[in-house]
Amino acid sequence: MRTLIRWAARLYPATWRNRYAAEFDALLDDISPSLGDLFDVLADVLRVRAITSVDACLVSGPVFPMSVRLPVVVSLTAHGLIMVLLLLAVWGHVTTMPLHVVAPLPPPTPDPPPQVTDARVFPNALTLYSSLPLKIPAQGGTLPLYVADGVGINFLSLPDIGAVYRQGNAEWRVWPGQALESFIVRRVLPEYPRGTSARGVVSVFVEYLITRDGSAKVLRTSGPPPFAGAAQSAIERWIYRPLEYENRPCEVLSRVEVRFDSEFANSGISR
Amino acid sequence: MQDPTILILASLADGDKHGYAIMEDIQVFAGIRLGPGTLYGAICRLEERGWIRAVKSESRRQPYRITAEGSKHLREQLALWGQVVRTGNRRTREA
Repeated sequence: MRTLIRWAARLYPATWRNRYAAEFDALLDDISPSLGDLFDVLADVLRVRAITSVDACLVSGPVFPMSVRLPVVVSLTAHGLIMVLLLLAVWGHVTTMPLHVVAPLPPPTPDPPPQVTDARVFPNALTLYSSLPLKIPAQGGTLPLYVADGVGINFLSLPDIGAVYRQGNAEWRVWPGQALESFIVRRVLPEYPRGTSARGVVSVFVEYLITRDGSAKVLRTSGPPPFAGAAQSAIERWIYRPLEYENRPCEVLSRVEVRFDSEFANSGISR
Repeated sequence: MQDPTILILASLADGDKHGYAIMEDIQVFAGIRLGPGTLYGAICRLEERGWIRAVKSESRRQPYRITAEGSKHLREQLALWGQVVRTGNRRTREA
């Protein structure tokens, strides 16, 4: 299948191949391509070819010299073949479908509990992910806010994202924390440790594993003991829906930074 | 939200990634697997619009970085979708 897709990629225009062929090849080495991927590439070839044909017509006008006739004929033939393949695929797909499909709707996914960390602790964090909104909605509303005073969670940018580590028979995939947000079922926010004399900002970096049953197990922490302990005990109470990779259960390794800021602890912002 | 360009911008918002890492990241956070043609079609359009740029690399795996214009566009789109989601949620509760 990989060879077929490489063959299909040769149908891209030369400008596209010069720019993307090497990295496209590398991508094909990384994935396990399917028949769907072949049609996906052929469809994109068709799209790119259509755009570049229009561009060429606009640039060169209606006159076609002999030197461009052959490539145009080859290109049109290739497009014809692609269309035939697509029609055959659609026909095969449609004829194998049963006439009446009655399937129960999946149960609605419960929304994760709305929780926010203290936005003042990470003032420049992006607010891309919905289950950990760092800002109160601009229009107000009834969203209940549970704010941990002086404590913020930041999803780190992981340099080894996508890497796979093997520990005996186990296989751990590295995914960033924000990518896991749609799987979170329960999040417990760390509390600022009481009775500590630390002043200012304390950062704790936590590496944790989401096991096959969705529970979180802290592997490593870095930071002063009372703060590291607070972060660990909270994260170990996080629960995710069991994760899958290519339809197989998998264990996922991730890392977050938990930041404690004494300036905002007990400032009365919560609830 | 299945527009591959927005998914790619969202993936690059937390750091540079090459094609395979983008594909895997999107599969995890959105549950959508982009095909290689769709992925590189979208990467090509994003580069043309100046929303991402290739980062110098010695490897065959070419990493990409979101530009300031790309971040701005992403924020605008997310704000728009946030409004749609909030309105939809409110109306389905009222119905």
